[in-house]
Amino acid sequence: MDPREAAIDSLLRRSMAAPVPSPPPDFDQQLMRELRQGLQRQSSPVLDRYRRILLTCYGLTSVVVCAVVMRSQGLDWGAIAVMILGPLALVATVPWARRATHTRIRHSAK
Amino acid sequence: MDSDSQLVARAQSGDQQAFAELVCRHSTPVFRLAVSILGREFIPEAEDVAQEVFLKVHHAIESFRGEAEFSSWIYRITFNQALNLKARVRFRSPHEDETVLCATATPEPGPERLAETAQRDRTLAECIRTLPEVYQSALRLYYWLGAGVGEVAALLVVPENTAKSYLHRARHLLHSMLREKGYSSD
Repeated sequence: MDPREAAIDSLLRRSMAAPVPSPPPDFDQQLMRELRQGLQRQSSPVLDRYRRILLTCYGLTSVVVCAVVMRSQGLDWGAIAVMILGPLALVATVPWARRATHTRIRHSAK
Repeated sequence: MDSDSQLVARAQSGDQQAFAELVCRHSTPVFRLAVSILGREFIPEAEDVAQEVFLKVHHAIESFRGEAEFSSWIYRITFNQALNLKARVRFRSPHEDETVLCATATPEPGPERLAETAQRDRTLAECIRTLPEVYQSALRLYYWLGAGVGEVAALLVVPENTAKSYLHRARHLLHSMLREKGYSSD
């Protein structure tokens, strides 16, 4: 350490000396309590069933409304089916493709 | 004693006790890292950051594939989380002014000398705040929180030589800044 650096080192030691904080003593317990409460909220079976029913109803209504609107515009049932099922198939493929790519990268890294 | 990777594997299969053990092991380093980024003025916010980090980790632990050390992963999350919060609290008034703490730590040879020292400490604190985030964090960890170079490197997820170089460059920059403002570092 050159003299200039030594001088600034000593200044920093003097100037930044202050009580060192630490997390509250019950930090871990408090955090775990919060996590447990969060998990209970998340895994409430009634809430889960309610969410699933709500989502299913929403999905079905959307599909029916889309099909009716497209049909009223003169599209045939084949095209309507492709336009509704195509995006759904694409959405279903994405996680599978990501998993496959990740496995390939891991294999090539080894 | 189980290693981090064993605890992570158990936590991934739903073992809350294993996750509690991980929290216990890493809460202090995570808090220290958050404090080093946010500074002395925002200690309560650093506690919030530490809490949010563990909630995030708990939520995402299933996606952790063990390609890096668990500690590196959690420190990276802490760094980003603290930086996000710092950007939000930048314009909020601090709980405790950094320079007040500096002044209380210095010896008191006389009113004039004390005022001069306090002014220099204030200028130094301002200069530190203009440094890049990693330099600020390295300086606070090393000079305030008493971390060794090894701990600075581990918390910032860089090799030890890089941590040394952060400290070296930060000191060099501070020296130039203080000289520009008319202070000597002696």
